[in-house]
Amino acid sequence: MRPPVLTLGEPAGIGPDIALAAASKGIPFVAFADLEMLGERAKILGIDITLRPIDEDALPCSDDITPKELPVVPIPIARLPKLGIPDAANSPYVLECIDKAVRACHRGHAGALVTAPVHKGIINDAGIAFSGHTEWIARLDGVARPVMMLCNDRLRVALATTHLPLRAVPDAIDEAMLVEILRVLEGDLRKRFGIEAPRILVCGLNPHAGEGGHLGREDIESIQPAIDRMVMEGLSVEGPIPADTAFTPARLVGADAVLAMFHDQGLPVLKHGGFGETVNITLGLGFVRTSVDHGTAFDLAGSGKADPSSLIRALEMARRMAPH
Amino acid sequence: MKPLIALVQGDAAGIGPEVMGKLLSIDEVRSSARILILSDIRVFRAGNEVAALDTPVHVIDDIEGMDFEGDRPNLLHIPAIDPAQTPSGKVSIEAGAAVMRWFGEALDLAAAGKVSGICFMPFNKQAMHRAGLGAEDELQWAKQRLGSHSRASEFNVIDGMWNARVTSHIPLREVADRLTTPEIMEAVGLANGTLIRAGIERPRIAVAALNPHAGEGGTIGDEEIEIIEPAVAKAKAQRIDVSGPYPSDTLYPRLRDGAFDCVVSMYHDQGQIAIKLLGFDRGVTVLGGLPVPITTPAHGTAYDIAGKNRAAVEPARRAFMTVCEMARRA
Repeated sequence: MRPPVLTLGEPAGIGPDIALAAASKGIPFVAFADLEMLGERAKILGIDITLRPIDEDALPCSDDITPKELPVVPIPIARLPKLGIPDAANSPYVLECIDKAVRACHRGHAGALVTAPVHKGIINDAGIAFSGHTEWIARLDGVARPVMMLCNDRLRVALATTHLPLRAVPDAIDEAMLVEILRVLEGDLRKRFGIEAPRILVCGLNPHAGEGGHLGREDIESIQPAIDRMVMEGLSVEGPIPADTAFTPARLVGADAVLAMFHDQGLPVLKHGGFGETVNITLGLGFVRTSVDHGTAFDLAGSGKADPSSLIRALEMARRMAPH
Repeated sequence: MKPLIALVQGDAAGIGPEVMGKLLSIDEVRSSARILILSDIRVFRAGNEVAALDTPVHVIDDIEGMDFEGDRPNLLHIPAIDPAQTPSGKVSIEAGAAVMRWFGEALDLAAAGKVSGICFMPFNKQAMHRAGLGAEDELQWAKQRLGSHSRASEFNVIDGMWNARVTSHIPLREVADRLTTPEIMEAVGLANGTLIRAGIERPRIAVAALNPHAGEGGTIGDEEIEIIEPAVAKAKAQRIDVSGPYPSDTLYPRLRDGAFDCVVSMYHDQGQIAIKLLGFDRGVTVLGGLPVPITTPAHGTAYDIAGKNRAAVEPARRAFMTVCEMARRA
């Protein structure tokens, strides 16, 4: 089986720490990183692991990666990082790791891409226009509409908009983009999750889904027509459902995913608990990509206190979803 | 002396009458207040019949005739609807008109200072609108009838977890423009006062953010910095135990885990999504900021199980005990 490939993100943060911790727990993956940087971090953390340099076109099978060993596609870093202090000189390195890992996916060497957190600010400080991890990867992949989905043991929630100010949300939503998103969501639920005829619930935007237009018109003018088009194409898409009832247990019975209109409509539900831990998945790419749900945590780099569990879940999810 | 509480009959086609029957059979309920029931005696009896109960009440036509002997409730008979002519489990204009008669009388008694709290059994909004409510909801209707102009707000309470909102039934695109520092301060002040009245000595209040990740230092919206943070700071200066703004995706789990007593949310779905997950139907709705406290069980008329003696009384019991608590502190 083709292995997941991991980019470590910002080297001054906890990316290297959690990668080493996951590898030492026997989770199989290939890292794209600077060997010396990784070796030094392993020493600081007291993690006993063999870093095995490999060629980017000759990745080992998952089954051939043994515990206590981490295969690394070596990519030279500009300067060895100081713990917790990001260095703009290393920003091209951070992006090169991503570019090469994406290439490995495109060439079919890798089964899936998993990403540790980058620091947006420091990449832009290096004079590189960088709006976000997902956007960068989507551009490399030639995709116009990546879709963010969060998923845990019980629930999958895709987002129509992500990190937008709440006041910008209504204008960002229109019928055409919702149709594109629903197509991506439906297609990936079939392709990546093996769900034959996915059933999707769509949240309304306004309170009570607009109550027939009395509390906002977007539900009638943008969301409903997008749903109607999907239904006409024979897809199982329902809504707009008032967001406060869409996530109730009774409503979720038989649903494979919920499309929320904005960040805080969907994420609080996943964090409500009792649903297991959440993994972030980017849909609509030519390959599977998962990522951790936390940031660079500069204060924890090299301390041994960084929790690798989100990365481990992202790696496991990537392995489950990857084509065999 | 025990507070005089108006207990208002609910929609006659729903579970209200049978829930009222069960409620009055609880000793703790009868002994906590002097209870003045506002109902048509026929609806009251029909409810008792469904619940297979027969709590004795003193029936009067005028409140001058009130006579509290032991813990026996008084029932002010306001003829408004014949349950024999009202199909159970259906929206009915007559039932809507009847609850407006009973609730209206309770509000008038409150305005005259004769009762110190109101608890009502579930109403059906649609029935009330059809019967000519002429206000957005029962809170606005009550406000008008009481002649009150100060800020009033609906609180959802589940197992000691409170939620209030700064904006409510407005389009999402209007939310950001409606938020102002004074508006948020008022909402926090009202939450603080209402919780104190409900017996929470020093309420811990958390204010929700508006934007994802609480705006991430102004990169995803600046309302946290410009509007919400100053409101929190000013409320703190008034010695209220308040903090925030907190990102809404991690805030409600903290409310659930007991870190706060009350969340003040910025918009309808922010609070309601969480409240429904926490168990809305088990909860109580409190109308705060009116001259008298008003409570009701959060669940609705449950037309699908009306008349079958399957309705739970616990939310109504909590609603009643909450209004007694609040009335005692008036």
